[in-house]
Amino acid sequence: MAKEQHKKVDTTKNGENGRILEFSPLPDKVIDTLKSREKHRCFKKEGKQSAPDCNKSSIPGAVTQRSCVYGGARVVLMPITDAVHLVHGPIGCASCTWDIRGSLSSSSKLYKTGFSTNLQEKDIVFGGETKLMDILLEINRLYHPPAIFVYATCVVGIIGDDLKKVCELAQEKTSTRIIPVQSEGFRSFNKSLGHQLAGDALLDYLIGTSTKASPNHPFTLNIVGEFNVAGDLWGIKPLLEKMGIHVLSTLTGDSRVEDISRSHQAHLNIVQCQKSSNYIARQMEKKYDIPYLKVNFFGIEDTVSSLQSIAQFFNNPEMLKKTEQLIKEEINRLEDAIKPYHRILKGKKVAVYVGGNKAWSLVRAFEELGMEVIMTGTQNGLPEDYQKIRDTVQEGTLIVDDAPVRELYHLLKKYKPDLVISGAKEKYMALKMGIPFCEFNHDRITSFSGFQGYINFAKNLDQAVSSPVWNYTKKKLKNGINEFNGAKNAKI
Amino acid sequence: MSEVKVTKRERNVIINPLVTCQPLGAMFAVAGISRGLPLVHGSQGCSTFVRYGFSRHFREPSEIAVTSLHEDAAVFGGRRNLISGLGNLASRFTPDLIGVVTTCSSEIIGDDVDGFIKTARQEIKESLGENAAEKIKIVAINTPSFVEHHYRGYDNAIKAMVDQVALEPANGNDKLNIIPGIVNPGDIREIKHILNMMGQESIMLTDTSDPFDSPLRPGSTQFKPYYPKGGTPVQELEDCSNSSGTISLCNYGAQAAGVLERKYKVPSTIGPFPIGLQNTDQFLRNVKKFSDAEITDELLDERGLLVDSMADITSRYLFGKTAAIYGDPDMVTGIAGFVCELGMTPQLVCTGVENQEFVDDMKEVSKKADGKVEIMYGHDLRSMEVRLEEEPTDIIIGHSDGRLIARDLDIPLVRVGFPVYDRVGYHRVPIVGYRGGINLLDRITNTVLEEYYDPVHWKLQQ
Repeated sequence: MAKEQHKKVDTTKNGENGRILEFSPLPDKVIDTLKSREKHRCFKKEGKQSAPDCNKSSIPGAVTQRSCVYGGARVVLMPITDAVHLVHGPIGCASCTWDIRGSLSSSSKLYKTGFSTNLQEKDIVFGGETKLMDILLEINRLYHPPAIFVYATCVVGIIGDDLKKVCELAQEKTSTRIIPVQSEGFRSFNKSLGHQLAGDALLDYLIGTSTKASPNHPFTLNIVGEFNVAGDLWGIKPLLEKMGIHVLSTLTGDSRVEDISRSHQAHLNIVQCQKSSNYIARQMEKKYDIPYLKVNFFGIEDTVSSLQSIAQFFNNPEMLKKTEQLIKEEINRLEDAIKPYHRILKGKKVAVYVGGNKAWSLVRAFEELGMEVIMTGTQNGLPEDYQKIRDTVQEGTLIVDDAPVRELYHLLKKYKPDLVISGAKEKYMALKMGIPFCEFNHDRITSFSGFQGYINFAKNLDQAVSSPVWNYTKKKLKNGINEFNGAKNAKI
Repeated sequence: MSEVKVTKRERNVIINPLVTCQPLGAMFAVAGISRGLPLVHGSQGCSTFVRYGFSRHFREPSEIAVTSLHEDAAVFGGRRNLISGLGNLASRFTPDLIGVVTTCSSEIIGDDVDGFIKTARQEIKESLGENAAEKIKIVAINTPSFVEHHYRGYDNAIKAMVDQVALEPANGNDKLNIIPGIVNPGDIREIKHILNMMGQESIMLTDTSDPFDSPLRPGSTQFKPYYPKGGTPVQELEDCSNSSGTISLCNYGAQAAGVLERKYKVPSTIGPFPIGLQNTDQFLRNVKKFSDAEITDELLDERGLLVDSMADITSRYLFGKTAAIYGDPDMVTGIAGFVCELGMTPQLVCTGVENQEFVDDMKEVSKKADGKVEIMYGHDLRSMEVRLEEEPTDIIIGHSDGRLIARDLDIPLVRVGFPVYDRVGYHRVPIVGYRGGINLLDRITNTVLEEYYDPVHWKLQQ
């Protein structure tokens, strides 16, 4: 089979537009692995429907990067700061996830408290409903929270506790909102179902339950699918406020139960994480007639176009003017700050492997810094997600679905990126291979969103690739003496 | 003489848990086998969140496979998942040992794990050939998540491996079996160092030191698949029935020692976890009990260095200070004992484990204490927080999950145990043995100095 020519066209801002940078043949096969896995990887090629096979269950016995349905629901709802999050199951489901997300709060810390019903053998035999009821009353007595989310785990699904019924009864007794989340871990191989079930919990039990009228403001919106990891929300909200918009609620970063309960009164929903939260936006459109816009606040271009499309939606002359003014000011401020990073990062190859949204929303941000995304992929992608990835990435980019550890290793080894973007589970493997790594997951400690976030982003990438440690790892060590010749560029 | 009060959690709900479920302990134990892989028979989250937890603490890759049980398996059983999972793992990872770790779902469904393993063995034989299949040990480890906690999971895993892999004894090997417990790489290395000084060979059941603290040397690391250096070789696991004795440092998880004693007549002794002077002394005596190993002059010097540090420091800065200690039971009793040796009072000790032995041991330790001691068992971090609000201590000793309590109550936290994710290096630095004692002493003292001594008049303090 003749190898196809692979054209790489430089379209970055500072490059000569349209200049063909390199010709290199695309390999026939991405890598050699199990046959059933082959279709889960592909290159983006012109004119072809290049999307990998996806949304299939993982091979048993793989070291999967995937999580469970409960995990999917947990990460969506965890950032609701003043709610109690009660995990109905054995202790581990709560212990391992109680503080899993670096979502920041400006007020309550209750969401960072781990609650578990700690199901024991006798509960498995006789059912956990009585225990759950007792515990709900107990929590209400101790904390008087505005809402208690009750998460179902695998065990609950198997023993058949009627979560809804218990929550309903407890709600009558306590007159606080008690919200069942039907997130039994084994319900799907894809945690996206968990995102949707979390959305259902919000839609069925919280959104639209407030009787209070929202402030009489002509331009209100909800930011949907923004979880305030490392304070991302705080890079976005001030921009919207400067445009004259009132942010009614966030689903769910730094949110309060009360805000979400009246989010149905907003004029517009904007969706940042289109992996987890398109569903909520679509349902709110159906139910409350709230239109939604897909936005992306990672990268300058996307931030600018997101702000513009929001302004265009409200179509208010003053807001349009303010928005352009704001963009101009921010870009002026940015350009000088970014220049030094651009020089360092230009031409560096990036491999992205994440949970969802970031597989496409980050791509332009890298390109704006002159970097080349050679691989992107997710653990839980759905066909619509890969469509978005395909539409975003350059020709020849490798697109990967649900790669277990071993496969990731092969991919990194063969395609040699200069930088890997992923989460904590992949981090130490990449580093062990001597490849710089930048965290872009729940553990991130720097905000990457909006204009300031973009500077932080560039700075973080610089820190990752420019660390002197990478001078000491590249070459094979030949003998003991050379190991100590750690000087820059030493031949070892 | 001290006054002792014992409390157990009265609340139904657990708030900020101090324990996790059994499978985590089992995965940890299997990770300590050279080319050993845990295969979790359950949902994907059961392996993923534990991998995440290990990576966060050790800052190392953590390879744990899963059979990915889904709804159909919940209805029809996980037979196919486990058998094909074992097959895939065998052919693609060629491990020396696979530990099949059950979970709540597979236990409730009632999967016949032993039967499935038999079938899988047969299939592996057919696909890889007799010889290759022989080299892969498959161990069934029952760890129902709804019974007890991670500690029992560790215990069950070590027991299962010894029970299913150790061979009939032949010739004595003059080695000592050591069951270290859920401890850090630095601690296991320190135990090995002590045994080395005594000229005593050992078999670690199991050795997680190198797997969870491995060098970055891309040229000499095995990536296809990733196997870190080190770990207990399967041959040693097979050979542990020939050892002259077993010492379980893990006070509350010594079933494997019992198996070796009953089945193969390997005598054993349980505890103490060698933190502090007297516990380490006892450990050395225990080693001597099973062998003619010598307590060398160098080792006595190490002991002397610890005593010297205690003499230099304790009366000036630590005497009379109070501590709250929380975490795994053996760590807590060990540290409480050491704290008493330093002239401090373990005013509050708290563990999530419901275990009467822990209470008895703590009562014993309390005899060394000068003030009153409150023993909380089967509790959680919230219980401890409430007690500390009422009666604060000078310092808190425990893992990172207590960091917010320490901050909110403005009591400094000395970090030890698992998990520590908000500071670095704690997995490397031992707290066991004499040298570990010095580390822990320094850690505690520096925390006290930072909080309670005035830097302006530093010279006066010397």
